[in-house]
Amino acid sequence: MAAVRSDPRRLGFVGAGRMAEAIAQGLIRAGKVEAQHVLASAPTDRNLCHFQALGCQTTHSNQEVLQRCSVVIFATKPQVLPAVLAEVAPVVTAEHILVSVAAGVSLSTLEELLPPKTRVLRVSPNLPCVVQEGAMVMARGVHTGNNEAKLLQNLLEACGQCEEVPEAYVDIHTALSGSGVAFVCTFSEALAEGAIKMGMPSSLAHRIAAQTLLGTAKMLQQEGQHPAQLRTDVLTPAGTTIYGLHALEQGGLRAATMSAVEAATYRAKELSKK
Amino acid sequence: MAAVRSDPRRLGFVGAGRMAEAIAQGLIRAGKVEAQHVLASAPTDRNLCHFQLLPPKTRVLRVSPNLPCVVQEGAMVMARGVHTGNNEAKLLQNLLEACGQCEEVPEAYVDIHTALSGSGVAFVCTFSEALAEGAIKMGMPSSLAHRIAAQTLLGTAKMLQQEGQHPAQLRTDVLTPAGTTIYGLHALEQGGLRAATMSAVEAATYRAKELSKK
Repeated sequence: MAAVRSDPRRLGFVGAGRMAEAIAQGLIRAGKVEAQHVLASAPTDRNLCHFQALGCQTTHSNQEVLQRCSVVIFATKPQVLPAVLAEVAPVVTAEHILVSVAAGVSLSTLEELLPPKTRVLRVSPNLPCVVQEGAMVMARGVHTGNNEAKLLQNLLEACGQCEEVPEAYVDIHTALSGSGVAFVCTFSEALAEGAIKMGMPSSLAHRIAAQTLLGTAKMLQQEGQHPAQLRTDVLTPAGTTIYGLHALEQGGLRAATMSAVEAATYRAKELSKK
Repeated sequence: MAAVRSDPRRLGFVGAGRMAEAIAQGLIRAGKVEAQHVLASAPTDRNLCHFQLLPPKTRVLRVSPNLPCVVQEGAMVMARGVHTGNNEAKLLQNLLEACGQCEEVPEAYVDIHTALSGSGVAFVCTFSEALAEGAIKMGMPSSLAHRIAAQTLLGTAKMLQQEGQHPAQLRTDVLTPAGTTIYGLHALEQGGLRAATMSAVEAATYRAKELSKK
């Protein structure tokens, strides 16, 4: 393998789309890395301008990122990742820690495309990494040890919550938490629209819906209760809540939501077979 | 009217249930009032119109809070009575902002808020549970699934607030063509999630209006 000339402080991104930018922003805002020590590559300047605006360095050469950085995050679209990995494989060394955030690309696929003994990890992030409230899981490849896993977890915790899990859970997480952002948006919109139907102005309704989501989530986390327990705590007999809950159940909200996570998971598994 | 002998620093609660406790906790945690200056009693009263039993020209306000006041992330609205001026309204808003977000609204919106945000906590709990249970069906352990569901809710809500986007716009931002999200969204629509949710807010609002007539 080629000799390492990479800077251990330098963090690389191959692919400069929304997710890469979200993670970079989170890391920089939390002070985990300085913008000038971030190098991102992409085929065109369309997305690189966002990295430049953050103060990061940019390039059109994927190999340059591997040559100058020891920790590299691959954030390309899943379908182009195999070609990109084949392109950079000649400059990958035993010192590198390579991280893929591409949905549906398995650790074994990553390891097949890279030199033997390359240390890889796979991360399922989600968009709220942008506001440092991401929900992430990571899984390690066969040659990745505790130190590398801890290093990555420590980095990513700048963007939100990050847990290590067996690879079998990663696709489920993509559905629950990656796609889950869209499910939550739909739910928030529907809450607001119920209020709008009742006569509340649109912008007020949307603001209150979002704050209700935030506050409830915070209670679930801080008070550590099961959601069914918290639900019971607000259930005044014959009050407004139980009338609303009955309508929710009649409308089959739970089944619809479970089906959404299920469908998204199956699609993630389907994509990972291609 | 009797002469005022009350202490301007003292804050009183008539009614000492979960909600009173939540607000008191938020205010005390935020340093807006000292615990020794809080006085509470029970039972409770409900609507502004009931305050007609008070002497004329009493300054009253009505607040619709919600339980996340406990963790200082409440969603509250307040409405003022006829004798309440800007100073009093601002004073209360300033106090309550220790517990979360508080906006002044016309009284006509208060019942809707009770449904959307008060009862809404229970609707969100149901949704969070269902998200987690979808993942559990797929093979994820229960406690991990619940943790991730809650964090996804929190992160998405924070994005809606900080980025200021319409939820439909944020939804579009995560929609990779033929990706996992659009498959999930289709199932959500087929299951009628939106209609069920709107019906919940509607049913709770009607009940709130019904209760206020009693």
